[in-house]
Amino acid sequence: MDTDNSVNLAIEQLHRQRPRSRFVRYSVCLMLLVIALSWLLGDFFTTDLFNGRRLQNLQRFLQELIPYPLQGRAFDWAIALDWLDKILADRGWQALGTTLAISVAAIVMAGCSSLVFTLLAARTLSTTEPFLPAPLGKHSRFKQSAWWLVVAITRLMLIFLRAIPEYVWAFLLLAVLGISAWPIVLALALHNIGILGKLSAEVVENLPTAALASLRGLGASRLQIAGAAIMPMALPRLLMFFFYRWETCVREATVLGMLGFVSLGFWIQDARARNVYDEMFLLIILGAALIMGGDLVSAIVRALIRNNR
Amino acid sequence: MIRLSRRRWVIITILIAGLWSCVALDLNPAGLAIGAGGLGLAGEFFTHALHPALQYESAVPAGTIPILLRSLQAAWWTLIFATTAISLAVAIGMLLGFTASTAWWSEDLTARDTTWRRIITAYLAPAIYGSTRILINLMRSIHELLWAVLLLAAFGIHHMGAAIAIAIPCGGTLAKIFAEMIDETPRDAALAMRDAGATPLQIYFIGLLPRALPDIAAYTLYRFECALRTSAVLGFFGFPTLGFYIAASFENLHYAEVWTYLYVLFGLVALVDWWSGKLRRNMLLWTQTTA
Repeated sequence: MDTDNSVNLAIEQLHRQRPRSRFVRYSVCLMLLVIALSWLLGDFFTTDLFNGRRLQNLQRFLQELIPYPLQGRAFDWAIALDWLDKILADRGWQALGTTLAISVAAIVMAGCSSLVFTLLAARTLSTTEPFLPAPLGKHSRFKQSAWWLVVAITRLMLIFLRAIPEYVWAFLLLAVLGISAWPIVLALALHNIGILGKLSAEVVENLPTAALASLRGLGASRLQIAGAAIMPMALPRLLMFFFYRWETCVREATVLGMLGFVSLGFWIQDARARNVYDEMFLLIILGAALIMGGDLVSAIVRALIRNNR
Repeated sequence: MIRLSRRRWVIITILIAGLWSCVALDLNPAGLAIGAGGLGLAGEFFTHALHPALQYESAVPAGTIPILLRSLQAAWWTLIFATTAISLAVAIGMLLGFTASTAWWSEDLTARDTTWRRIITAYLAPAIYGSTRILINLMRSIHELLWAVLLLAAFGIHHMGAAIAIAIPCGGTLAKIFAEMIDETPRDAALAMRDAGATPLQIYFIGLLPRALPDIAAYTLYRFECALRTSAVLGFFGFPTLGFYIAASFENLHYAEVWTYLYVLFGLVALVDWWSGKLRRNMLLWTQTTA
């Protein structure tokens, strides 16, 4: 009886000592409120969701997903393969290749150019006295605020780049640059510079500073430190992020064609406009296969990097 | 023969792949050198970045709400679609995340004392696990906008369609990550519970899930930011989010208005980014003090 009581007391005490944060609690309340408001005010439950016309439409749509030559007859492998082969030869393979190339070109561009912003955005490097304790009063206020400004502007720009979705970037750039692969690749690259720049800057800031500080103490310049120590130390993580972002690039590349550059998304949009739903569905599945392939390659490479530090 | 480390091979392969795709796409710097018309357009568009519109650039019908109010309204709609979608996605993610984890049936956490339980762990559970994994992959591998296209074709334009289009791939991704996080949770408490005679479900919901919860919440917040961007883009398909007005103003050549909407989108994303970052740090502190 006595031990029971003391156990209960101990539990109660632990319960009272649990970490609490007012910010987290208010945030959760706010979140629940916004979720409730969204469901209530979003017009999600209009009465015509399942009216007769919509159901008819759905039924027709589901029927038209079956390959056209097979509609209204028994399934036949020869006909199905013939249909598949024709679409793939006409545009399927070419669209897949273009989409893949878009994703690779974009991520390589983003990866290379984000390195510059990474260094500028890293608070440990972009400062008057990187990695060393600052000697008091040695540096002018002006110099300090100049470096602070460099970091602030770089970070603000990175936030802006990643706040605008790839699709919007592509839409704007297509009008400005005309239809070619450039706007699509640049749109993907710009958004990913924003993300890679931020993630990599955090990696650089979290590096163990002993080696970097001793290099600086020996008089190495910022660029020398970056080339000789920061890059080799941060590389495995940066490559991880690179491949992780490449997966998303493949994902986005499948839809950016919808804006007009001939790739997978273009043909999907085209099939949709012509109401050829069987072909649209096939192309969407092709895109899914490409994405799964990309995920697989990325997972394998990331495992390779992880096991070879 | 020089021996290169794997890392170097990876980098060389990346660079070669990058070159190949530039050649395949016919990307040369000359393509960027736009003609005089294009340059004028680009100049005009980007100079408007410095003075976004505070009023409509052309006459509007009487009774139209001011542009600032309208952009806030569009931001609110963007938020509505994103929150609805993410709440659906969390439900999907929790459900599929449970069946896609190994923790509720793996050998070390379940006692095989009855024939029934043996059958479940040997045949039924792996089948459920496997089919959930396939389902998750299918959901994830079709882009939000393609789900939107499919749902538009199937149901016509409807707000629920937009929310579901975001929720499906998002829910699949959440399920995958949730399952991984739960499987990676330290199993000391779970094993102690097993030895005390708890059922697999008790172990799952008391021994594993609460410990993975801060990580799960942090990741969900990150996905919420992604849902917000997708929600904005859905405007291009006719939903009343920011994308709708960006496209409409751009097509009317009202570049200053485009920048107003872009800045509001930027503000919305930056706000949510800041808030979720602060929340994540708070929760991280939480796990560190309990650990």
